[in-house]
Amino acid sequence: MANIDFRFALEQVPEILKGVPYTLLVTLVAMLVGLIIGTILAFFRVYRTPVLNQLAILFVSFFRGTPLIVQLFVFFYGLPRFIMYLNDLFGWNINPDFMSPLVIALIAYSINSASYLTEVVRSAILSVDKGQLEAAKSVGMTTVQAMRRIILPQAFVTALPNLGNQLIILLKASALAFTIGIMDVLGIARMIANDGYHFLETYLVAALIYWLLAIIFEMVFSKMEQRSNTFKGNVERKAKAAI
Amino acid sequence: MSFGLGDWISMIGQVMDRLPLTLALLFVSLFFAIVIGIIIAYIRLEKIPILHQLATIYLSFTRSTPLVVQLFLVYFGIPQLLLVFGIDINHWSRFVFVVITFSLHTGAYLSEVFRSSYLAVGKDQLEAAYSVGMTYLQALRRIMIPQAFRVALPNAGNHTIELLKDTALAFTIGMVDMMGQVLFIIGNNYGVGMFEIYVAIAIVYWVICIVIEAVISLIERSLMKKHASISH
Repeated sequence: MANIDFRFALEQVPEILKGVPYTLLVTLVAMLVGLIIGTILAFFRVYRTPVLNQLAILFVSFFRGTPLIVQLFVFFYGLPRFIMYLNDLFGWNINPDFMSPLVIALIAYSINSASYLTEVVRSAILSVDKGQLEAAKSVGMTTVQAMRRIILPQAFVTALPNLGNQLIILLKASALAFTIGIMDVLGIARMIANDGYHFLETYLVAALIYWLLAIIFEMVFSKMEQRSNTFKGNVERKAKAAI
Repeated sequence: MSFGLGDWISMIGQVMDRLPLTLALLFVSLFFAIVIGIIIAYIRLEKIPILHQLATIYLSFTRSTPLVVQLFLVYFGIPQLLLVFGIDINHWSRFVFVVITFSLHTGAYLSEVFRSSYLAVGKDQLEAAYSVGMTYLQALRRIMIPQAFRVALPNAGNHTIELLKDTALAFTIGMVDMMGQVLFIIGNNYGVGMFEIYVAIAIVYWVICIVIEAVISLIERSLMKKHASISH
């Protein structure tokens, strides 16, 4: 096969694009669930909750210190067995088959991204000046109110660039889901490539799709950053006007 | 299923049989990645025409496409491309393709680390070195690089750990590293589940990762000491 068939590549684009919803699903679910778990763990770390703080450190160290693909396989072989174990233990009757590869991928990616986002959220919370919390308390807010209304919105602005990076890292990482049989962009590309020995063309198409998605994500986040910066500017301008 | 401590140790031992290959992948790729990183950083810092634009596209591509796609492109794509020109490299070992991919990938990230650490040292340091009569190369070797190295170390360390974890992808093109070894272990043992083997692999990677982290923080601390003694 000593030729490169770009017509073939072009014809395969619609087929490969069918994988985009799965790629986006894994990426976005992992980001959202990861952010929720990560925020909870970040609070354990910030407040140094005994035991939970140490567990969070261990969790972060393990999931950041092992390859994602190994974690994917650990969940792939471990989760159905975990369900059966729960069945034995509590006499439940859950069918372990509901752990489809997609569900397993969503769980694995969420937990993996949670470990990275814990550190992102933690550093963002710590970056907000302590005086802000004291000021909020001095006007009578509870800690929870102060967190929700004062600290977290400011922390979010600080965390935004890191969150954008994390989303792109997740997008790229989602390509590994083909190893457990998910038909995402790479999964479909791989099938087509192996079928007709058109490796170069198909993988190039897949790479371009990922590239494009990454650029779109980047643009969305830079828009969000701009917006959050204008708000920041507004507040500062108003504060100056008040003086 | 009874799976005792002894079984775990023997399984980790079997997984570790393939550790030298993983480490070879890590260090060979890291070496070339550093070389590539320095070249790209130089091109971007000096804004060399054409090369500068090419480097920017290369950085954007490597940093926004999945590594496994890049690996497939290099392993399956480059031989196909070269065959068009009548060059047959299909017999090359997989190790070469993996090293090419990982070096290009990590090199892209390292170039940004090097570039930003060079910029962090600041132009006045270079000018001060010139003012005492050093040449550019002397200033680079004696003034800029020692300082830039200290700035770059934490990020470079992180990318080394990323690279270590990335080497686990080599099995997708059929390399028998720790991940590729799994099928052989399954073949040799009775009653060992995939789950246990992957947990064992995860532990091995985790330990190497912690060791790398410790080494880097050790170097950082020793550099810190030197730094403090100069400024006081």
